[in-house]
Amino acid sequence: MDQHNTTYSVQLYIYDLSRGMARQLSPIMLGKQLDGIWHTAIVVFGEEFFFGGVGISSCAPGGTMLGPPDSVVELGNTEVNEEIFMDYLSSLGETSYRGDRYRLFEHNCNTFTNEVAQFLTGRKIPSYITDLPSEVLSTPFGQVLRPILDSIHIAPPGGNVINGHNNHS
Amino acid sequence: MAENSGTDPAVNTNTEENAATSGTIIMVTVKTPKDKEEIAISEDSSVAQFKEEISKRFKAKQDQLVLIFAGKILKDGDTLNQHGIKDGLTVHLVIKTAQKASGGGSSQASVSTTPGTPPVNRSGTGSANPSPASTGGTAQGTGPSPAPAQPANLLSGFGDLSNLSGLGMGSANFMELQQQMQRQLMSNPEMLSQIMENPLVQNMMSNPDLMRQMIVANPQMQQLMERNPEISHMLNNPELMRQTMELARNPAMMQEMMRNQDRALSNLESIPGGYNALRRMYTDIQEPMFSAAREQFGNNPFSALGGNGENSGVQPSRTENREPLPNPWGPSSTGSTENRATGTTTTTSSTSSSTSGTTPSVSNPLGVDAASLGNGIFNSPGMQSLMQQISENPQLMQNMLSAPYMRSMMQSLAQNPDIASQVLMNNPLFAGNPQLQEQLRHQLPVFLQQMQNPEALSVMTNPRAMQALMQIQQGLQTLQTECPGLMPSLVPGGLPGGLPGGLPGGLPGGIPVGLPGGLPGGLPVVSLVVSQVVSLVASLVVSQVVSQVPLFLQQAARPQRTRLLPRARGPPPLLGPTPLSSSLCSKCYRCLPEEVHQPRLQR
Repeated sequence: MDQHNTTYSVQLYIYDLSRGMARQLSPIMLGKQLDGIWHTAIVVFGEEFFFGGVGISSCAPGGTMLGPPDSVVELGNTEVNEEIFMDYLSSLGETSYRGDRYRLFEHNCNTFTNEVAQFLTGRKIPSYITDLPSEVLSTPFGQVLRPILDSIHIAPPGGNVINGHNNHS
Repeated sequence: MAENSGTDPAVNTNTEENAATSGTIIMVTVKTPKDKEEIAISEDSSVAQFKEEISKRFKAKQDQLVLIFAGKILKDGDTLNQHGIKDGLTVHLVIKTAQKASGGGSSQASVSTTPGTPPVNRSGTGSANPSPASTGGTAQGTGPSPAPAQPANLLSGFGDLSNLSGLGMGSANFMELQQQMQRQLMSNPEMLSQIMENPLVQNMMSNPDLMRQMIVANPQMQQLMERNPEISHMLNNPELMRQTMELARNPAMMQEMMRNQDRALSNLESIPGGYNALRRMYTDIQEPMFSAAREQFGNNPFSALGGNGENSGVQPSRTENREPLPNPWGPSSTGSTENRATGTTTTTSSTSSSTSGTTPSVSNPLGVDAASLGNGIFNSPGMQSLMQQISENPQLMQNMLSAPYMRSMMQSLAQNPDIASQVLMNNPLFAGNPQLQEQLRHQLPVFLQQMQNPEALSVMTNPRAMQALMQIQQGLQTLQTECPGLMPSLVPGGLPGGLPGGLPGGLPGGIPVGLPGGLPGGLPVVSLVVSQVVSLVASLVVSQVVSQVPLFLQQAARPQRTRLLPRARGPPPLLGPTPLSSSLCSKCYRCLPEEVHQPRLQR
């Protein structure tokens, strides 16, 4: 097959944005058990890539304000080298993953991670992460909160932004 | 291997959609970051053939195509079968522009996905081909620069903060001015304590709802709050807010707090896992907060306060502090002496002709040459640009005016002209210029009355009116430079005297005309002060959070009640203005449980 190609390992960093509060409070507030509000990022080539309100950003692994991840999933290996990957990310950052395209429920960090994971490895990220928005929205409380939450952009600062336009005022 | 390693070697020349092989045709989705196409191809065909199809459909050269499936790069020599590409599956495509920086590492190449645009350095695929042009064009080795024909975006390395500065005020110049003022403020800790001591500020800060509103309105704060729900929790805790405000008022108290905090933190290290928690907490909260604050303040705001506590002691001076600031607009008063009974001001103004010239200094960030300005501050370039923005952007003024704290502030200002004058005196723009201050003091009550006048407000939100005002001001300025002798008699108090009969009644004569220009200038100044205070308090609140976290961890380590929630036996929650003389004291939330509670500070 491809013995002579180098492969790079790809990991998924999963963070619980609620720091455990979701696990405790979700049965009360939403009526169903949610173990966390998941934020994910892809770690490859020694950097962590994620999507937020300012577009695609990168930083050192575990280097966002969230600190080290709550869990790490090995997605496998990829032959895609860094150069091609950065090309790919730049294109994404100009199109469907510009900062202003962030939507908390439909097009969020996990959407990005899922797509990148499939690009790099062909595998998707665990479904409990991508199912979260629909889980929340299927509760009456989620519906009530939706207009408010829609306007939230989650963008941990301290990273480098990878996209076509850095100033979108 | 031959280039075509398909089962039928004859497909080499086939360019039609239907391969000539006997393989079945499958539909494969080819997905680029921008685009998605379905391509029909024989399932036995090779990758090279596939690329041919793709290059036709996507209008790219085959060399530029990189196909990826299941994490593997499809090489020309492979077959689709080999990789398990079947009907309905998706293959990823990246179209290279082939302008290469050195591969790997952090240097990036400028990228375009428009195929067929040969950039400066067209080179092979992926090989380390250092091109100085591209590496020189990237900024700080961060994300790849943007799309076709655009040079590397130098700001791409600056992270989010540059974006943040564009938020909130809607105008970069305003932000610059504000930042300059903040920097100036922060570099002068005495000034900071002056502001803190100001009864107006204290009044404001003793209203927890007001403070909370102001803090929450800050976009950076909002971000912080999303990430750390504890912070919003803190803001909702009235006792905590009260503590914070007391802290802010009294630098000595603040220092004490810091010491306690340090002690608690050092205790924390001994707990297993405590050090990691500490580090984590620091990187979580403090660091971005500090770097954000540093962006604004130019240095660590707490160092200013803490150090200030030592210098000024428990009893900070209540006199006006003019010393540290040279007089940026000294001779401006030659033009703006007030017509008062005493001629002393005239004399003083003529004698105080020491100018700070035009070189920017700490207290004169705009490098204003005051000598030529009759209207003092409000013709400075900064103010002028400010007014220009105000006139261009009526929404800005309206936002500012309709902000909830604005109204209450205006009211309290109007009721207490002394306070207002004190605030404005201490403002760096005014400090050091006794003449201006005199005039201010006299004109303030009227000025404030005018502010309450809705007509005046509506004038300020009217862009044409603002423009007219600016023109008038410029005219006045010209006049001054042309005939300086004329001006002193023309401008009896060319400062925020507001609009006594000025604006709403038309502009009688040319005289009060200088005054309306002062009016909008006063507002932004005051709001700048307010915003500085807000930022300060916001950072204080965050430090509160920071201090809470180790305590919480301590709690976790020891079997005790949590401190994040108000103590049952703590001081009674205070929702209104607190008497300034309350002590931080007994059963305070800061004492560690094994210590005897002792009153910390008395004012």
